[in-house]
Amino acid sequence: MKIIVQKFGGTSVDRTESRALAARKVIQAREAGFSPVVVVSAIGRAGAPYATDTLVNVLRDIDPQVPPAPREMDMMMACGEIISTVVFAHTLQTLGSKAIALSGGQAGIITDDVFGNARILEIRANYIHELLAEGYIPVVCGFQGTTNTSSDTEHGAITTLGRGGSDTTASALGVALNACAVEIYTDVDGVKTADPDLVPKARTLSLCSYEEVAEIAHQGAKVVHPRAAEIAMDHNIPLWVKSTFSDAAGTRITGGSSSDAESKRLTGITHTGKLVYIRLEIANAEHKPQVEREVYRMMARAGINIFLVTFSPTSLSFCVPRTRYPVARDLLDGMVVPVQNAEADASGKPLTYYIFKFSEGLDLAYSVQRPLLKTVERFADIVDVPATVIESCTMVSVIAAGHRRVSGIMATIFETLTGAGIAIYQTADSEMSVSCLIPESEVDRAVQLLHASFFEQ
Amino acid sequence: MYALEVMRDVAHAVIEVGTDDGRTARMLGVFTVLANVDVPVFLIKMHSGAITLAFSGKDREKALDALSEYGLTSKVRGELALVVVRAATMRDLHGVMVNIADALFAAGALLYETGDSHNSVQCLIEADRSSEAEAQLCKVFQLPPESVHHLMVSSEGGR
Repeated sequence: MKIIVQKFGGTSVDRTESRALAARKVIQAREAGFSPVVVVSAIGRAGAPYATDTLVNVLRDIDPQVPPAPREMDMMMACGEIISTVVFAHTLQTLGSKAIALSGGQAGIITDDVFGNARILEIRANYIHELLAEGYIPVVCGFQGTTNTSSDTEHGAITTLGRGGSDTTASALGVALNACAVEIYTDVDGVKTADPDLVPKARTLSLCSYEEVAEIAHQGAKVVHPRAAEIAMDHNIPLWVKSTFSDAAGTRITGGSSSDAESKRLTGITHTGKLVYIRLEIANAEHKPQVEREVYRMMARAGINIFLVTFSPTSLSFCVPRTRYPVARDLLDGMVVPVQNAEADASGKPLTYYIFKFSEGLDLAYSVQRPLLKTVERFADIVDVPATVIESCTMVSVIAAGHRRVSGIMATIFETLTGAGIAIYQTADSEMSVSCLIPESEVDRAVQLLHASFFEQ
Repeated sequence: MYALEVMRDVAHAVIEVGTDDGRTARMLGVFTVLANVDVPVFLIKMHSGAITLAFSGKDREKALDALSEYGLTSKVRGELALVVVRAATMRDLHGVMVNIADALFAAGALLYETGDSHNSVQCLIEADRSSEAEAQLCKVFQLPPESVHHLMVSSEGGR
């Protein structure tokens, strides 16, 4: 039996016409000799009556002061996929196919109990195999599973898998069913070299590696969730990204170093993130490692992820997500880090107290904390750590596998952006990409210019 | 799941570009002259009056000559190692950097530069501290020896 998993996203199932096109893809696969297993997302995006956000707001609107319990929130969020699954299964039935709707739990998807962001622990695929053997097309709810239980009275709670959950469901089912391929259907005809809304000339890649598509997804492209690519990669299941609305071949995602032959090392231009860049001046290079560690520790305790970390002998810079910046600033402003002076310190004082200063102001912690340190000035040097902040930043990335073995990528990026007057605040690079931190207001232009430099010449 | 990669024979350059109006042109000059002599660069960071970047130790003389010919003052430190800590969805995890900083501090390894991506944190340290750093990082992240990979920085050239 040649099993194929076909996943349809929200825009593929939101209208009668779209569902008919999606159903046609399933029937075509069946006619081609495959045994399709369908995974569907909720119907439509934010604002649509059965979209996940709409359902969640029904709960939130009851009393905005009282957040819904995670367990009940997951039950509510799962309703969107349940409705969509039933509607899609019925659509197939009306077209003469023997289809059956399954919730995540009915499909055997067992997860941990982290409501809102559950991890799949196992998939008990026996029931789906039985249904396939009986000639059914199983239509499975994406984005959800159920907790395991050995209790006689409790039969498992509905969980949801977090962002990109339906893609993850499709990949995980592909692995559990030993499918010959997983097809992700969306409203674009494959993995593009850039966001087609920004770059109409963006072209579709015919072939892409798992690593490249995971990198593209992590760097902001929304075509397939990186977790789904990583699951497919771990088990070497071929993944396809195709359009529900066309018969284009789509993009095949598979192992090995791939990419289109004509642009061997370049896969695309992406953009992501609303970021704030913080630069801290730490005057004494000798004390800097200890002060830095306290910054990292404070951010970790507050659950704030930091990235684009950059050193100089007397400074530390990093980015935080804009949503977390107020917390980061409140924690760091006025923070005092005591460091033991080296024995031969010129001042003869045994300690240096570093105090972080974001800006002066009556309501900021620095202005309260600093005068209090006057009492310790007899035995400690007091040194300000001034912070400079650039708000409204974003990252634009060139996905270039193996760029660390090839010269010239950074020269082209720098020339393209600065030549157009776009400031580059900082850069980050890995084996797969080069990213630049730029003003958010310039992101559209930056993506278009970089695409022109790398893909249109 | 974490893994550790250690790349030896890495050089790190601090290249003065000034703070005047010609800074951007000089920065572009840095990237262009290094590209023209086929030196791939990584861990590129911009500072107010300088660019710092890393390249393979094998390219050290070639890079220094090219920069000097272009009229740029640079300092290159060789015999460094790039220690890379890997984990899936690194940017969704918090506390990774403090664990790395604590481990490197315990190893007595001075951190010259860092880089990060969605699945890695890269740290440039002195090569002679890399074995101790490796041991401390393995301890912090509970890594078995088979999770440590020793690699070499390579270049293919070709702009």
